[in-house]
Amino acid sequence: MADPRSGGGGRRVVVSGMGVVCASGAGARKLWEAARDGVAQIRELKTERPYDGRIRIAAQVPNFDPAAYIEENVLPFCDPFTQFAVVAADEAMAQAGFGRKDIAGPRTAVIMGTGIGGMTTIEDGIYKYYVERTRPETLSVPKLIPSAMPTTLGARFSALGPTFAVGSACSSASQSVGIGMQMIRSGMVDKAIVGGAEACVINATIRAWEGLRVMTPNFCRPFSMGRNGMSLGEGAAVFILETAESARARGHEPLCELAGYGTTSDAKDPVRPDLDGAASCITQALEDAGLAPRDIHYINAHGTATHANDITESEAILRVFGDYGREVPISSTKPIHGHALGASGGLELAITIEALREQIVPPTINFLDFDPRCPIDAVPNVARAHKIEAAMSNSFAFGGINAVLVVRHAD
Amino acid sequence: MADNPQDTEKLKEEIIEVIASEGMVDRTKVTPDATIESLDLKSVDIVMILTALEEKFNVYIPMDGSLQEAKTVESLIGAIAEHIQKERETQ
Repeated sequence: MADPRSGGGGRRVVVSGMGVVCASGAGARKLWEAARDGVAQIRELKTERPYDGRIRIAAQVPNFDPAAYIEENVLPFCDPFTQFAVVAADEAMAQAGFGRKDIAGPRTAVIMGTGIGGMTTIEDGIYKYYVERTRPETLSVPKLIPSAMPTTLGARFSALGPTFAVGSACSSASQSVGIGMQMIRSGMVDKAIVGGAEACVINATIRAWEGLRVMTPNFCRPFSMGRNGMSLGEGAAVFILETAESARARGHEPLCELAGYGTTSDAKDPVRPDLDGAASCITQALEDAGLAPRDIHYINAHGTATHANDITESEAILRVFGDYGREVPISSTKPIHGHALGASGGLELAITIEALREQIVPPTINFLDFDPRCPIDAVPNVARAHKIEAAMSNSFAFGGINAVLVVRHAD
Repeated sequence: MADNPQDTEKLKEEIIEVIASEGMVDRTKVTPDATIESLDLKSVDIVMILTALEEKFNVYIPMDGSLQEAKTVESLIGAIAEHIQKERETQ
C-alpha cells in the first residue's frame, strides 16, 4: 500500500475553495486585505443588552443580516455560529466550482470545529428562564448543539459521509481541517467540508473571558513589549478539500495543497501553554508534510498576545527550527480579526493560504518594541514581500490541545 | 493619589490581605522578600487574586509582563499597585 502521506505518492489533498465571515465582513478576500494592509477590525463592543464589564472592544462581524443569505425555513434552526458557517460554506463551495448538490452523497464528510457551539442561544435561554421568568425559545436545543453547524451544512449540500463537530477550544478549526485531510488521504471519503465557527461575543461570555485576565483593555500586540492580552473575535472559515487528482480531473485549479497536519496534547495545565506540547506538534506537522524547517517560509502564529503564549510559542519555534527560527517571518494576525476561538485556526489558515498565493507576509500590527523573550522576526507593523513555498499555521488551545497545519503550492 | 506615600502603604497592605486570602497562604508568610514560588502561588492563584482585587478596587488588571515576571511578593504588589493607581488616575 502506498504511503498515505502526501510526500509518499499517496492521495494528495488540496484546498479547492474557502470562505470567511469575520470582523472584516463576509468574504475571504476582505479578511486577507485587512491582514495584509494591517487594518485592525477590533472596534467598540456592541451588545444587545447593556454590558457592565470592563473590556469594551471586540472584533465583531459588522452589519450581518443572516436573512440575506439563509432561507427562511432554515434560519430558525441557525444560531449565529451556524449562520456564519453557512455563509462561509457557500463562498467556499462557489470558489471550489461546486453547485449546491455537486458533492452530494456518502463520499463527502462535514467536519466543523467550534469552541462552544450556540452560545448566543444558550445565553438567551438562560436569560429568558432566570431573569425574564419565561422559557427558552422552542428550537433552543437543535440550535445550540455544536453539531447543528455541520449537520446544517450537510443538509445544505446533501453530504452523507462522516459528519461531526470538533470541540477543542482554539484548536477546533485546525483539527477539523486536519481530520478532513486524513480522511481523504486514507480513502475514507473523497471530499470534505471543514473549518470552524464561533459566535460568543456576548455579555456573560465576555465577562467570563475577562475573569481569566487574558484580555487586553486597549491593544492586542502579539510578541511585542507591553503586550497585555487578546481581543475576542467571532466568525467562521470553511474549506473544501478534495484530492489533487479529482481537482485536476475536473479542470479546477486549487488554492493550495494541504501538505501536513500535526496534533498533540500537553496533558498538563488547563490554561498555561507548554513548550514540549507545542514543539512536538510543530515537528509532527513538518514530518507529516515531509518538509524540513527551512522549507517553511512563513508561520502564522497562534500569537495571542498573552505574556505566556508568545514566549512559549517563540521558544517552541526556536526549538524545532533552530537558528532559522530567528529568521523565518512569523506574524500573528489576531490584532486584525481578534481571537475567534473555535474559528480562529480557520481564519488564520485562510490568511496563510493567501500569503502563500500572493507571496506577501502579513504584519503583526500594534507592535511597539522587540521583546528579547520572543526572539523571532514578528514582521512588525508592515507587510513584507517574501518568497513563500510552504507556510505553517499554529493553534494552541486552552486545555493543552495543539494543532498545526502546513500548506504549499499545489503542483 | 500616587504621590501620597501613606495611601500607597495602605494600598499595599490591602493587596497583601487579598493575596493571603485568595492565594490561601498564611498572612505572616506574605512578606515583601518572600518569593511567589515559596508561597506556592500558581498562575491560576494569581488570576483569583486579580479577580478579588477587581471586586475590591473596581479596576481591571490584565496579566501583562510585569505581573508574570514578578518573582517576589514585593514586585507583585508593586506591579498590582501601579495598575490600580494608574486606573484611579484615569477614572
